Amino acid sequence: MFKTLFLVAMATLSLGAVAAEPNIKSLLKDADAFRLAMDSGRVETEVRTFKAGVQDKTRLYTVYLKPGHRSLVLFRSPAERGQKMLMLKDDYWLMMPSSQRPLRITPMQKLLGEASTGDIATMTWGDDYDGTLLGEENVDYLPCLKLELTATRKGVSYPRIVLFLAKKGRHPVQAELYVASDKLAKIARFTMGDVEGRRQVTSMTLIDHLQKERSTEVHYLSRTAKTVSDEYFNPAFLVRAEVPE
Amino acid sequence: MKAPPRQHRLFAVLAAVVLPAAAQEVDLGWTTRVIAEAHQRRSDSIFGAGLDLTSFGSERGRIEQELRGRVGPANVLLTATAAGQQGQKPEARVRVHEAFVDFTLGGERFTAGKKVLSGDVGYAFRPIDVLQREPRLQLQAPPMEGIPSMSWDNFTADSAWSVVLTNPGHGQRDAAKDDGSVALKLYRRAGTVDLHGIARHSARNGVEIGAAVAAVPDDALELHASLLHQQRGAQRVPLADGATLTQLLNNDQALESRRLGALQKALIGATWTSESGLSLMSELWWDGSANSAADWQRLARNAALRNPLLTVPGVPTLAVNGANAASTRLFAQANLVRRGALVRMAWSDAASGWSAAADLLASLEDGGRTLMLSVGHSADQLRIDGGLRIYGGKSDSAFGLLPERRAIFVALSLAY
Repeated sequence: MFKTLFLVAMATLSLGAVAAEPNIKSLLKDADAFRLAMDSGRVETEVRTFKAGVQDKTRLYTVYLKPGHRSLVLFRSPAERGQKMLMLKDDYWLMMPSSQRPLRITPMQKLLGEASTGDIATMTWGDDYDGTLLGEENVDYLPCLKLELTATRKGVSYPRIVLFLAKKGRHPVQAELYVASDKLAKIARFTMGDVEGRRQVTSMTLIDHLQKERSTEVHYLSRTAKTVSDEYFNPAFLVRAEVPE
Repeated sequence: MKAPPRQHRLFAVLAAVVLPAAAQEVDLGWTTRVIAEAHQRRSDSIFGAGLDLTSFGSERGRIEQELRGRVGPANVLLTATAAGQQGQKPEARVRVHEAFVDFTLGGERFTAGKKVLSGDVGYAFRPIDVLQREPRLQLQAPPMEGIPSMSWDNFTADSAWSVVLTNPGHGQRDAAKDDGSVALKLYRRAGTVDLHGIARHSARNGVEIGAAVAAVPDDALELHASLLHQQRGAQRVPLADGATLTQLLNNDQALESRRLGALQKALIGATWTSESGLSLMSELWWDGSANSAADWQRLARNAALRNPLLTVPGVPTLAVNGANAASTRLFAQANLVRRGALVRMAWSDAASGWSAAADLLASLEDGGRTLMLSVGHSADQLRIDGGLRIYGGKSDSAFGLLPERRAIFVALSLAY
C-alpha cells in the first residue's frame, strides 16, 4: 500500500514537472506568429546594410511564401531589379536578368548572396527546428527563455540557433545564428511594434559577428495573406515575367 | 540615332499594346554603363599589315543607357548606345532587346514578342542553347538581343513543357539566330536533380535533340552536364591547301563554307563553393561544329603564302593585306575551342561588395589558352569592374594566332 502511494506521488510530481516545462514546439509556434501569422503570403521587405554605423546599401525584396518550405524572392532595388531566387525546401535556383535562365545553386552559394536571402525568406522556426530549453536569462534587462535550436533539415541557413524569447508574451528578442562550421555568424535582434492592431516583429537587426563593423536591418514593410499558384514555384516558370498579383 | 525599320515596327506595336495599359502599372529601371577597352595587337602576327584593315588592337568604348522593366502587360529592355572605336567614326543606336507579353488564355500560358530564350546549364559552353545561341566568355558583353518568338507554355509544380516558334515566317537566314524554327522544351525536377530536354527543327541544322542535367549532391557541390545531337551543320574554314594565286588574293575566298554531317556537342562541369566565399568551377567540353586544329594551322599557312607576295612586282599590297584581313573573320565565331577546358576560381564577399575571379581556358585540341583576371566592386547603385585577358599558347593554335595579345577593360554601371 505504502509502495503504491509512493509511486502515485512520484508520477504526479513527474507530470507536474513536465507540465511546468514549456513545450519547445509550442514556444516556437508562438514566436513564429509574431513574424508571420499566415501559411501563405506576400512579405515586402527592405534591407539596409551598415558599415561602421553608416548606411551603405538599401535593398528591396518581395517574398512569396507557401507551405512546404517554398519561397520565391523577387529583387526590387535598382541594382538587382529582375533577379529572382526560388527556394524549395533544400533546393535553390537563381535567375539573373542578364542570362534569363534559372541557375541551380548550392546552399553555400545561397548564403553568399547580399543580405543572405535565407534571412529574408525564412520567417519561421517551428517547421525547421527542434530544441531544448536551456533556462532563463535576461536580455537588456528583459527576462527571457533561452532555447537551443537544432535544425531538423539540412537546407537551413543556420543549423544551430540560440534563441531568446520574452518570458512574458513569448515574442522573439534575440537569436544567435550559427553557420554549418558552428561559428557564430550573426546575432539577430527583433523589434516589436503594432501592425494593424496586432503586435508583430517590425524589424530584425543582424549584427555580423565575423565582421563586427557590419550590421543589417531587415524591415518588414507589409505582410499580406495570399495563396499563389504552384506554377510560380516551378523553376522553369522563373523565365516568365509574370508576378503573382 | 538610327533604328532599323523592323525596330520601328516593334516600337509601334509595343506602344499600341502598352500605352493604354501604362496607366495601370509602370515598373521601370534605368541603368547607365560606361565601358572602356584597350586591346594590344600582336606585333609579330602572321596577318601583318592586314590587321590595319580590321578592328583588332583598337581601343574602344561605349556609353550604354538601358531601360528595363514592365509597362502594363509588356516587358521591355531597350538600350541607347553611343560607341566609339579607334580609327572609326563614333556611332549611336537604339535597340529593342526585348519587348514581349506573357499572357494566359483559356487557362494556358503564352508568350509573344521579342524575348531572350537562353537555355542550358553550363558556363563556358552551352550545347543545348540552340534558340538564343548566347556568345560566351565575351569581355563586358552588351545585353543579349531577344528572338522574335511565340510560345505556348505549360507548368505543373515540378515539370514544364513549351512549344516555341522562333522568327515566324523565316527560313534560313544569314545568321543562325535569325533562322525560323520550331522547338519543344521540356523540364522536370526529380528530387535534387533538374532535367532539361529540347528538340528543335530548322532548315539549317535539321533536327537537334539535346538534354541537360544539373544536380546538387551536397551543400557545396553542384554538378552539370549537357549533350546535343545535331542532324547537320556548317562551318567556315580557311581556303583549302593548293589554292591558286587568284584564290589566295580574293577576299571573298579567304574563307569557305563547309557542310557538316551529323555532329555532337557535349559539356560536363562542377562547381564547389566554400563558406568563405571561394568557389572553384571546372568544365570540359566538345564542340563538333568548331574549327579543328588543322583548320587553324591552314589559316596560318595561307597567310604565310600570301605575305611573300608583298614583294612580288605587280601584286597589289592592298590585295594581300585585304585577303589576310578577310581571313581573320574566322576568329569572329561564338566558340573557337573544339575540345576545351575551363578552370575558374572566384571569390566574393557580399558584405564588402568585392569580388574577384581568375579564369584559365585551355584548348585541348590545338594547345591554345587564355587567362582572364577580373575584379569588381558593388556599392548601393554603382558597380565597377575591371579585368585583363591574355591570349597565348601554341603559336599555330586559335588563341596563339589571334591577332591580339591582351585586352584590358574598365566598366562602370549605375542603376537608378
